[in-house]
Amino acid sequence: MNRWRYLINKISWALFTILFVIILNFFLFRILPGDPARAGVRDPRLTRENIEAIRIRYGLDKPIINCFESLNPVKIGSCVVNPLDTQFFIYMGNLIRGDMMISFHTNRPVTDILSERLGNTILLIGAGQILAIIFGVFFGMFSAWKARTSLDYASLTLSLVAWSIPTFWLGVILLFWGSNNGMPIAGMSTPGMSSYPLFAQWGDIARHMFLPTLTYTIVYMGEYMLIMRSSLLDVLSEDYILTAKAKGLSVFQILKDHAIKNAMLPLVTIIAINLGFTVGGVVQIETVFSWPGLGMTIVEALNRRDFPVLQGAFLLIAVSVIVANLLADLAYSYLDPRVKTE
Amino acid sequence: MSKDNFLEVRGLKKYFDADRPSLRFASREARYIHAVDGVDFNLRRSEVIALVGESGCGKSTLALLLMGLEEPTSGTILFEGRDITHLNDSERKDLRRKIQMVFQDPYESLNPTQTIEEIINEPLVVHGIGSSKSERDERVKKAMEDSGLKPAEVYLKRFPHELSGGQRQRVVIAAALVLEPEILLADEPVSMLDVSIRAEIINLLAELRITRQIAVIFITHDLGSVGFFADRVAVMYLGRIVEIGTMLEVLEKTEHPYTKALISVIPVPNPRLRRERIILKGETPNPIDVPAGCRFHPRCPMVMSTCKASDPPFVTLSKTHQAACLLLVK
Amino acid sequence: MEAQIIKIEAAPRFHEFWRTFRKNHMGLVGLVMLAIVIFVAIFAPILSPYDPSSTHNVTTSDVYNAPSAAHWLGTDDAGQDVLTNFIFGARVSLIIGFFAAFISLIIGGVFGIVAGFYGGRTEAVLMRFTDIMLVIPDMPLMMVVIALTKPSILNIIIVIGALYWTTTARMVRSQTLAVKSRKFVLRARAIGSGKGHIIRHHILPLVLPILVVQAVLVVSSAVLAESTLSFLGLGDPTALSWGQMLNYAFGRGAMSTGAWWALVVPGFGIVWVVLGLTLLGQGLEQVLNPRLDTHHLMPGRPVVRNEAGKGVEISNEQNPLLDVQNLSVNYVNNGKPPARAVENISFTLKEGELVGLVGESGCGKTTLMLALLRLLPAAGQIVNGNVFFHDRDLTTLTDDEINAVRWKDISIVFQGAMNALNPVRTVGEQIAEAITKHLPGFPRDQRLQERVIELLDLVGIAADHRDHYPHQYSGGMRQRAMIAMALACNPQVIIADEPTTALDVMIQAQILELLDSLRKKLGLAIIFVTHDLGVVAEMCDRVLVMYGGVTAEYADVDIIYNGARHPYTQELLKAFPDLTKPKKKLSSIPGYPPRLDALPIGCRFAPRCLRAIERCHKEQPLMHKLGDAHVASCHLLEATK
Repeated sequence: MNRWRYLINKISWALFTILFVIILNFFLFRILPGDPARAGVRDPRLTRENIEAIRIRYGLDKPIINCFESLNPVKIGSCVVNPLDTQFFIYMGNLIRGDMMISFHTNRPVTDILSERLGNTILLIGAGQILAIIFGVFFGMFSAWKARTSLDYASLTLSLVAWSIPTFWLGVILLFWGSNNGMPIAGMSTPGMSSYPLFAQWGDIARHMFLPTLTYTIVYMGEYMLIMRSSLLDVLSEDYILTAKAKGLSVFQILKDHAIKNAMLPLVTIIAINLGFTVGGVVQIETVFSWPGLGMTIVEALNRRDFPVLQGAFLLIAVSVIVANLLADLAYSYLDPRVKTE
Repeated sequence: MSKDNFLEVRGLKKYFDADRPSLRFASREARYIHAVDGVDFNLRRSEVIALVGESGCGKSTLALLLMGLEEPTSGTILFEGRDITHLNDSERKDLRRKIQMVFQDPYESLNPTQTIEEIINEPLVVHGIGSSKSERDERVKKAMEDSGLKPAEVYLKRFPHELSGGQRQRVVIAAALVLEPEILLADEPVSMLDVSIRAEIINLLAELRITRQIAVIFITHDLGSVGFFADRVAVMYLGRIVEIGTMLEVLEKTEHPYTKALISVIPVPNPRLRRERIILKGETPNPIDVPAGCRFHPRCPMVMSTCKASDPPFVTLSKTHQAACLLLVK
Repeated sequence: MEAQIIKIEAAPRFHEFWRTFRKNHMGLVGLVMLAIVIFVAIFAPILSPYDPSSTHNVTTSDVYNAPSAAHWLGTDDAGQDVLTNFIFGARVSLIIGFFAAFISLIIGGVFGIVAGFYGGRTEAVLMRFTDIMLVIPDMPLMMVVIALTKPSILNIIIVIGALYWTTTARMVRSQTLAVKSRKFVLRARAIGSGKGHIIRHHILPLVLPILVVQAVLVVSSAVLAESTLSFLGLGDPTALSWGQMLNYAFGRGAMSTGAWWALVVPGFGIVWVVLGLTLLGQGLEQVLNPRLDTHHLMPGRPVVRNEAGKGVEISNEQNPLLDVQNLSVNYVNNGKPPARAVENISFTLKEGELVGLVGESGCGKTTLMLALLRLLPAAGQIVNGNVFFHDRDLTTLTDDEINAVRWKDISIVFQGAMNALNPVRTVGEQIAEAITKHLPGFPRDQRLQERVIELLDLVGIAADHRDHYPHQYSGGMRQRAMIAMALACNPQVIIADEPTTALDVMIQAQILELLDSLRKKLGLAIIFVTHDLGVVAEMCDRVLVMYGGVTAEYADVDIIYNGARHPYTQELLKAFPDLTKPKKKLSSIPGYPPRLDALPIGCRFAPRCLRAIERCHKEQPLMHKLGDAHVASCHLLEATK
């Protein structure tokens, strides 16, 4: 019973935050210089009629929101505009219908563009996170168990260095090394691969994935290792470990049955949050390796002032972070019986 | 009777919300922690009264209420005839000089970043006492020496972590004394100290009671430690006082079943003594779900059928001795 | 990476802090690294070989020249000296980093303290806002804002500062809450201090260390953020930060021309600064929040035997169950001489006997108990003595052998604090675990559950509680659960280490009654560690009084209470209240118990003993036999035999 209440509480808060982000998203791109209406006009392929049609469809000729544009204190309270006829509500209405406008640049629906690119990013993140988790957890555990030995200090130093390296720079260095060693230097696949059998295509993608994934793994591995080490050190100094030792359990048994699960708890939260954030943070790696994912999309859209795409991407990232946080909370409350759900 | 009384407490209650308000659903009835549930007692000048009880009995909350660190839910507190139950900050501040508190944990009661001098000087600064630094220094020194920190100079520039538990507790007492209070509330002041040191602090309080005419409300779970020092004892259970009287009356002419049980199980350092121990069953009670009728009835070894229905009033057994039990209502 | 909440025990005034910090190698290295960069940044014009603003004749042949005598680190895409740009780049990166961090810290610090201190609605609003800001993806937002406004140093500083305060706010709030709930803040209120006074004198000094650690971490994040933004082309084109250098190099063909210097050097600078800051931050955190770097699973130290201090025949027991002879335990104290926590303690335990181990804090009683089962922490070492259990010396057993003895023959009941049982496993599971470990033949089916229920029933806990977690139990119940678990393998000896110290007196009575009945029912032998002389009188057959790591007196309980000969025992009894003699004035012993790493020369009680003679301060007393099974260590007793 109490768990349901906790769930509802968390979910409603997440929805509220999403709503806030949607509103923020809307205003962000209207307030900042670079009028979307004028920006869209830049595309030379659009005829005058087309431009007008776009403007009317997305209400770009309408006021943004009730009396907002005037911001004149005198005028507040005497709005003559029908609130539903403002850009804001048109935007919200479209959003609910799953319509995120059309890219100013390519004239394709934003939702299409994003869904294509999202898959590529998830592929990259997925592989990287899994490897980072495996290595990070393993090294972290090992380091904590052998705390204060030279193995621990070496491991700690390496992790701190990995943590301090800027992701993009690591990518550049690896790319540099890779390009001198025959590795593909850009993109997700070699042009012309589509005529080859599926298996070969996957192999090609894997070759392209190798360096970016390696970059990603090294950077996140450092973070996970440090967290796992500190978490396990905490756990291993707890009283119940002494009780377990007094019970005559072997070191291996204690680690397996008492320590690891408890030490993993903080890591679960961090991993979930990272998964949410890296949808956006992967910008660096995708830029360096020209990987056609969400990060690259943002950079391209930014350069072209392609607002609808930016707006859509931004929203997508924010929502995934919020959802990831929610899942992290729920997972944690499920794993740790002490979490008060009442 | 009220003329003699320095401090009078009438029907004092303090309830805390048991649920976080945001998670309470309209259909559910509000649950409360009945920390203090109707306490009456009086204190005379330089009298020492011991408040005894187990966890959940409300003794610490009562101390916070008397100190004005918590607002009562209902009831009154009268000090020197004046109603001090609900005061604003500035009125309360003046009162603070009269009632001071000594806490249980000597390791936590002192700010580790302050020197002993700063700690004991702080109350003077807060109340703007002393027109010059040297006057304040004098007061600080006197308070320290009265608390047994002699010579004061040795301790002034030290930090709390450099002192032992007993010494720290003396610092807390000095910081209380520097305001020249008339009532000292000591909440378990020695339970975290080593046995061989406890008597030092208790003897100090006994001495202060004589030299400075300070009344002491001594909260403890260990009745034995205040045997020689306390004039009266009040035994608390689930937010109420169930028995109150002089030390000898409560110890030797015990009337309330809970007091009898409590006294019978307090270990006595005498292996030759074979006592009958009345060991109550069950857990220490939960102040959220207070039993109906007499709040002690679920655990009472002498429970009668009437106990489940009616809440016993205080029965006067002598001029100083009262107990709340239906068995005494004749 | 979140820093832990800092609980400050030793108040570091600066020189004391510096002394501790100096010993922290990680922090020191970080500080030096940072100092070097700051030095380079300040003295850039002197240190760099060329003037960065001079545009002397740069031709295309100057572009991407490899390192040479004229250009130690080569030239970049515009033909300029990389080393010069590298040195001046430090300025840009550091300035942006520090100022952005400064803004974040102010915002985060203020939010955190206000939210933590005032609580209620203020806190709710501030924290909700912080939570929302936390989930907004920083990098994309920064990119968008800068791209659409103007990439300038000022904008970058503001944007980073405006987004990077969230972690600081949360950390500061947590710390403020923690400090606010500490007793000295309550005491400040009790004195009559106003809110402002409390914040200034009590909250701020204890929140400052966390702010300092956060500051270091935020600066490193800000430097990384700036370099990323610059790399993505959003940096200030007029300010050549390291990230900007990398942007140009990457975008202008450094890779294809093989100009590795243009790519490696600026990145190296970023790594140096961030690593230095991270090491400094870690070092600071370790100093301000010293977490014991040891844990329970560290390998133990080998048992040593040095044969010093032969003991005295103390008991006429034939075949005692447990026979401890001359046990001594040291704690290694790096650099300094070891702390002699237990020295030459001997006692015996026979079947069904209850021995009380009495002593005050720091007398070594817990160390003694842990040593019996070889459970000493990493710094502990048995340096003398034997522990005979049924004629087997436990000190000579291997790890596997002692694991077989633990719990099965001798089990321990610790103080049932919240964490003595694993909080994420059910109580029933933890009891079952003990059974399956030591009784491998025990069937793992329904009968295992029945045995668990049986054990819980023995201690008065209802069967359905076995599926509950420890935090759902009350303090008394937890203690009983620990007793049930200790009985799981039918041991012969139970060591109870202060099992009722933290409990209410009525619950204590219940537990003591339980232990006594179990003793009679199962024929258990119990070692009961406590400081409560009343409990000892009620429960024990024999008593060992410890002081400063040695035996003060050891005798039958009646002798201890009615015929004690050691001054400490006598004084201790006088200091302990007796409810049957309420008017008896309590005496105290002057001074306080010695620290085990600073023991006095001679008799350990001498500094506090009112009857000490000169010899007591010079020579440690031997154990004198005073009667049948009565020994005490005091010079004054030497004559009487």
